Amino acid sequence: MRRSEEVARLLPGPLRTVVLAVLLLIVLGPLAYMALASVSSDLAVARGALWPDGFHIDNYARIWSTTNLGRGLVNSVLIAGAVAVVSAFVALLSAYVLVRYAFRGRVAVLRGLLALQSIPGTLLLLPVFVLFASAATALGITIIGTRWAVLVTYLTFALPFSTWVMVTYLRELPPELDEAARVDGASPWRVLTRVIAPLSWPGLVVSGVFAFLLGWNDVLFASVLTNPDSRTAAVELQIFGASQEGGALPVYGQLMAAALVCAVPVVALYLVFQRYLVAGLTTGGVR
Amino acid sequence: MFLPGGVLTLLVIAIPLALALYISLLDLDQYSIREWVGADFIAFDNYVEAVRDSHLVHAIGISLGYSALVSAACVPLGLAAAIATQDRFRGRALVRSILLVPYVLPAFVVGSTWRIIFQPDGIANRVLGTEGLWLNGPRSFWALVLVQLWAGWPLVYLLAAAGLQSVDASVHEAAALDGAGWWAKLRHVVLPQLRGPLSLALVISFLHNVNSFTLPFVLFGVPSPVDVEVLPVLTYVESFQNFEFGLSVAMAVISLVLVAIPMAVYLRAVRLDTGRERSSR
Amino acid sequence: MFHSFAVPEEFPMHRRTLAALVSALLLGSALTACGSDDDGGGATGDNSGVTLTMLMGVNNIYPEQQRQWFTEVSSKFQQQTGATVRFETFASANDELTKIQTSVVAGQGPDVYALGTTFTPTAYATGAFVELQKEDWDKVGGRDRFLPATLGISGPDQQHEVGIPFASRPFVMAYNKDLLTAAGIDKPADSWDGLRDQAKQLTKDGKYGLAIGYADGFDPWKFIWAMTTQAGAPVVKDGKAALDSPNTKLAYQSYLGWLATDKVVDPAAVGWKNAQAIAAFGEGKAAFLPMVSASSKVTLDKSSVAGKYAYAVMPTIPPGATSLPPGGVAATSILSGDNVVVAKYSKHKDLALALVKLLTSEESQTSYYKTFGELPTNQAAAQALGSDPALAAIVESAGKSVNTPFTGGWSQVQLALTNVVVQSIPDLSAGKVDDGKLTGLLGQAQSTAQGALDKAK
Repeated sequence: MRRSEEVARLLPGPLRTVVLAVLLLIVLGPLAYMALASVSSDLAVARGALWPDGFHIDNYARIWSTTNLGRGLVNSVLIAGAVAVVSAFVALLSAYVLVRYAFRGRVAVLRGLLALQSIPGTLLLLPVFVLFASAATALGITIIGTRWAVLVTYLTFALPFSTWVMVTYLRELPPELDEAARVDGASPWRVLTRVIAPLSWPGLVVSGVFAFLLGWNDVLFASVLTNPDSRTAAVELQIFGASQEGGALPVYGQLMAAALVCAVPVVALYLVFQRYLVAGLTTGGVR
Repeated sequence: MFLPGGVLTLLVIAIPLALALYISLLDLDQYSIREWVGADFIAFDNYVEAVRDSHLVHAIGISLGYSALVSAACVPLGLAAAIATQDRFRGRALVRSILLVPYVLPAFVVGSTWRIIFQPDGIANRVLGTEGLWLNGPRSFWALVLVQLWAGWPLVYLLAAAGLQSVDASVHEAAALDGAGWWAKLRHVVLPQLRGPLSLALVISFLHNVNSFTLPFVLFGVPSPVDVEVLPVLTYVESFQNFEFGLSVAMAVISLVLVAIPMAVYLRAVRLDTGRERSSR
Repeated sequence: MFHSFAVPEEFPMHRRTLAALVSALLLGSALTACGSDDDGGGATGDNSGVTLTMLMGVNNIYPEQQRQWFTEVSSKFQQQTGATVRFETFASANDELTKIQTSVVAGQGPDVYALGTTFTPTAYATGAFVELQKEDWDKVGGRDRFLPATLGISGPDQQHEVGIPFASRPFVMAYNKDLLTAAGIDKPADSWDGLRDQAKQLTKDGKYGLAIGYADGFDPWKFIWAMTTQAGAPVVKDGKAALDSPNTKLAYQSYLGWLATDKVVDPAAVGWKNAQAIAAFGEGKAAFLPMVSASSKVTLDKSSVAGKYAYAVMPTIPPGATSLPPGGVAATSILSGDNVVVAKYSKHKDLALALVKLLTSEESQTSYYKTFGELPTNQAAAQALGSDPALAAIVESAGKSVNTPFTGGWSQVQLALTNVVVQSIPDLSAGKVDDGKLTGLLGQAQSTAQGALDKAK
């Protein structure tokens, strides 16, 4: 093992240290500033002070009452989590069809998947809202303001990329696998759930994580499609940045504290899944 | 089985998109919005106005320019990070996670933070020994590039890291047998294998930048300084401050088309979309 | 919480087919399925189970108080009518616009909105909000319960009013008493030129005369508006824009000149928003802080100038003059604060009006002032307050506020005015106000503004 590791080494040790030091400095510099600002008073942050004028650790306590950050985090986890799971699953279905069945327009669909990424969100905001409002009236249910509304919206933005990842991933699986199962008389559904899905774990995780991040970070759609009960953490965060007309300071210290708190779940998620994440992209034929 | 994804995409992208296209043909403003279906149909007047009388062309130039720069600059950073975290060392998992943090912070927070850093008497000027404006004037363009780069490069890193994992052990063995140095190995053996992930990363990062609204909005505010008047902010201002909804949507459609064309050419060139077609049965 | 879908009442026949096609195609039966009949939901009778929704700005200074206020209002309203109120908040003016726009298009959303005064004309232009008739005013307690000055931006004329004054937030100027005393200045000047001269006198030892947020997205136009109004040549009059007039240019030159040529503002102010200007004043680094409202009190009382500052009205004599010119209006502030409007699509119009009545009663307005520091619009409540000397300047400014023009194109004019400042900042940073460039920018702004006014209906 030691030897093969030695052979696989890409960079000489000292060079690696230098590269990492530079990169960490780039990343951690502004983050350190955020951390310092998070324990500063709002006035100190507003005037651009580097060092806190005191140690206002209470910013971290106050964020929970200034806005409903706690509920926002719960909503975000629920919504982004659901987006992740559903989009990974649906992407698996779609990708399976795209990879295993030849049909007219297949390449067009594949290209379309990436093309969909180029639609600006601002273009769809108003129409999506109108669509939901109309559908709600027609069906006599409430859509806008519920978590479902944002969930469905995020799904449509997440699905194309998730499907793309799954397509590249499934391409690498030898067709003989499911062929054998089919010969044994398994239905396509069975093949998918029993043969393909278990083999696609890493791909599913990649799709899921990207979808999760999308749901976690969006503000544009969440700000109009949610109400106080279904607001996501990103929207709650934005409220920290609000100041009132005519001379109130935004609560900068709390904003930074809240931002760091909100980053924690995502970093944790990454730590948990990173093994799959990297492996998933690997085997998924992005090479 | 293709159905669920297809239906959903159709429902929430195709229908609103069609609706948007229709709106772009209407004289829709604050006076007609309440009864928007009855707004005057003015065919392509919005498109003509967008090209002739607005800052659209200028904004497209800025948007495409900075997005291309950022995407290109992400590659060396992402690659360096991926290569440096490939070899095992103590604390590797932690370093990998830290490097990803800028990507997971909401754009709104990133923008607010850098806005303070770039104040005329702020930290950027103190650290760099420069003085003057970063958030307006010619330097603002570079501020935008810098911040987007900071927030966006981890995506390239992630995809490059994944690509690296898939380099076969045999390749390393062969390189070792040939007595290749680390640079020769990187340059001639490892990098060529990363063409795929890097192409994908470029596409995704480019599109992400072109469509990025929150970051420039928070960083520079509206009205935008001319040097950073990017497309999404321009369409947003048209729509939500000037209430020229039809015009705004027409702008967005034009930008969509303009982005889609080079994308199609690029996709064809790098053959990402057809892959190896192993299973073309 | 969402009620009805407003059916387009009528549009020209030739649109009908297309519209029907579009609606059938895209929206299924939604557009045609149901009419919205305002079947009362009257303020009397059984309203239990009914929930009204009201949208207003989030208050970060008093977050807990605001939540408590929401609860109190709702329970009081329930006692009175049986219905409850659900409050939604928006974070910024942009959020608010997005929310209003989407709700108006969809014909569903909050029943009652609290809007910034300058946004009332735009809201009126959409035609989506209830124009108050005599009986509607009666249902909110009568039009005469409000301070006459606060009604100045409720509608284009008295017959077409949509906005009901809810809070008054006039702009004033904070000044550092210690710095002024040290320089031997007994009170702030009443002309802009005088203020500039005082500022010059006060600019020394690392302190500056004025703190100005040149990079703010909202403040700059208010200065230009005030100066031109005082000069008797307002930027908009009778549907005509005058952004390229000599008076407007003079206003910009004075405003930009404070930093560029007079050097009475910290050079760093080219990057300041309102917040940074307040921070500088709060640190004692500036003598005057113009264009703030009473809500700055909370921040300043926690700063190093606590107890050392006071408020005064801003100058009312325009640049280049020593007395008010003929035709000039001694405006101390734009008419600023919040109006509430009731959405036409609301199924509970009477209840909504009952809620507004509750919110604008003397009792509620007094307690609102005590909690949040925003001045009452209710006449009786305002009079009771008038005697407080600490508030003198603010109350005075409230009485001398002048409304911005009531046109649906105002938002664009405002944006065009601000844009001139934004694009002048690189020059400002270089310490100059380039005359040719300013003229060019003003020419562009003029055509944008006039274009918007021409489209106004």
